Amino acid sequence: MSQYFAGIDLGSTMTKVVIMNQAVLASVIGPTGPEHRKLANRVMEEALVKANLPFADITYVVATGYGRINVPFADKQITEISCHARGVGYLLPEVRTVIDIGGQDSKGIKLKDGRAVDFVMNDKCAAGTGRFLEVTAEGLGVKLDDMGKLSLTAKNAVRISNTCTVFATQEVVAKLAEGVPLPDIIGGLHEAIAARVYSMVRRLKIEREVALTGGGAKNIGLVKALETKLGYPVLVPPEPLLTGAIGAALLGKDIVKEAAEKGETLPRSERRLQEATFFT
Amino acid sequence: MTEEKKPEERKKRRTATEAASRIGPMVKATIGGTVQAREEGKPIAYSFICCCYDEIIRAMDIVPVWTENYAGVCGAKRDAQRFLERAEAENFSRSLCTYALCGLGFDAWREELGEMPPESPWGGQARPDMMLGSGQMLCDPRNKWYQASQRYMPDVPVYDVGLPWPPYEDDYDYREVQDYYVKYIVEELKGLVQFLEKHTGRKMDWDRLSELVDLADRTWNLIWETYELRKAVPTPMGTGDAMNTMVPMVFMMGTQEAYDFYKELNDELKHKIANKEGEIPDEKYRLIWGGGLPAWFALTDFNYFNNKGAVFPVETTYRMVEAIYHFDIDLSKITDPLEHVAWRWVKFWTYWYDKAKKRPGSHPDVERLIQYIEDYKIDGIVMHEAFSCRSWHVGLIWQLNQLKKVYRDIPSLILESDIVDISSYNEADTRARIDAFIDTLEAVKSRGR
Repeated sequence: MSQYFAGIDLGSTMTKVVIMNQAVLASVIGPTGPEHRKLANRVMEEALVKANLPFADITYVVATGYGRINVPFADKQITEISCHARGVGYLLPEVRTVIDIGGQDSKGIKLKDGRAVDFVMNDKCAAGTGRFLEVTAEGLGVKLDDMGKLSLTAKNAVRISNTCTVFATQEVVAKLAEGVPLPDIIGGLHEAIAARVYSMVRRLKIEREVALTGGGAKNIGLVKALETKLGYPVLVPPEPLLTGAIGAALLGKDIVKEAAEKGETLPRSERRLQEATFFT
Repeated sequence: MTEEKKPEERKKRRTATEAASRIGPMVKATIGGTVQAREEGKPIAYSFICCCYDEIIRAMDIVPVWTENYAGVCGAKRDAQRFLERAEAENFSRSLCTYALCGLGFDAWREELGEMPPESPWGGQARPDMMLGSGQMLCDPRNKWYQASQRYMPDVPVYDVGLPWPPYEDDYDYREVQDYYVKYIVEELKGLVQFLEKHTGRKMDWDRLSELVDLADRTWNLIWETYELRKAVPTPMGTGDAMNTMVPMVFMMGTQEAYDFYKELNDELKHKIANKEGEIPDEKYRLIWGGGLPAWFALTDFNYFNNKGAVFPVETTYRMVEAIYHFDIDLSKITDPLEHVAWRWVKFWTYWYDKAKKRPGSHPDVERLIQYIEDYKIDGIVMHEAFSCRSWHVGLIWQLNQLKKVYRDIPSLILESDIVDISSYNEADTRARIDAFIDTLEAVKSRGR
């Protein structure tokens, strides 16, 4: 009988679910949001429908991400550092350093044999995270999805001197008022975020190959700005939002395999999709 | 009405040793004792820890009020914000040392009221008769804090003791200049004695001072020997407890009570080791608290580490002694008590210099970490960057990078918050980082299996 493994990555901005056996059978990415966060079970349900599987057939469920602690239907919670490491190790085995730029934090992870051996994290300041671009995009009246492409058309990217997101927003609006072309401002913003992330990750002694994951990896402007900082290209998984969820599913598989080898029975949560209790 | 708010008291940290559990009541009694001393008209001095003048004030029966300690108590009781806000309202920058801000806010409030602020933690900080600065090379509030306090207490005199030590350079021997430093410190201490005699009307009892200096030497040795016991596997005591047991070391040096405390701790640890009784039942990871003052409001994080199987057999923070008999000078031959204290000071701060010089690219602080990692069989390093304390924390990341460069790669975790300001702290994020760190420790360990 086939075994199926689910990984659910409840991030601050997006909720990601992956169902795997030998490969990814189904994946769903949905916004977390204040209301959606309580409805992580629905994202899971959607993934089960896509995979054409009843929940009872899932052998093991691992939750990761910001809201992992309160996913009641998960069998185990594992940190996003470990899950990202496992996911990237599986997708891009040649990678030694992972840079993950999420909606609310950014992190650097050092890999050896596909497992995290060191990490750094910024969860204190919105600068250096997806939130920085989100907030400044709003200030500029530009759609977040257009920011990356627009940054590539910058001819003379301006220097954004404020590292604080709130003040940077004021600064870019002032630059706009001064008549600085929009692409140059957006280019400057991307350089600022790349510089901040780079200076944090440098603590790890960055080794090639470097992978970029998280929502930040979907922004071509940020990818290019980081490549400029690093001085070489980075690798981006096919769907950079899913690495944590894939890693979670794979770690679930590892756990089940190890338990089977030891002849142990693993405790499992009830296979009933309940609301995540993040806010309660 | 922020000033009226009284926050809920934090749940107490679980201690592993009986000795550590006695510290809270001891500190409370000491702080209460200073208020009582004020009422009885005994001379009271605001003082800094690691000040070099412990035995001097004890010999003259001056009651110290350890202002950093009181700020830490306010932080630990999660009741510092109202004092920080008060200092900010007095135009002190929020980015200054929060020990100083808390103290200044408290003093401003107490002086305005003419009595302790409402519901002051543990009865409040007594008004001093004098304030004794203790400027180290690396901590500017120790020079400036009490001068700023004079805004509220202009009648209270300040004496600022300069306490330098030779800086580390890998291409010269500090011994070439050590005599000058000792001479300078002795002069500073002489000036302090004169100041104290003038303001208390008491004469220094030099014989008693010598006795207390000798007692402090013996206490240093005893502490060193006691802390070395923590090398045992499993370790009988962790850093969480050490953040308590440091109290007699830094607030009661030169007293028999301090010596007796460490004798009892020594006995307790030996008993635990004989019974293979560790801080936790199943010790999986041995960590070093590699720098940074603790977040006093979050000491339960040490229990969180413990719950994950992690212990801290050693720390660099508040390990403010070395074995006197390891110094390259026989202190027992220095009979002048002020000179004796000055030499002890210089030898303590230069203790790791020679070792550092032997390893290219190293540094005394790095060398100390390496030695502890080896001696205590350490798996990972945890440091705490307290945003408001630049002087002690500014070099931590550099130290970590150098350590990895000149020694070996070792899992490390940097926690970020503050010593007193709880608004800098997020428990969920901190614990998420700890979880991730434990994962990396496990990954590294399993690779080595």
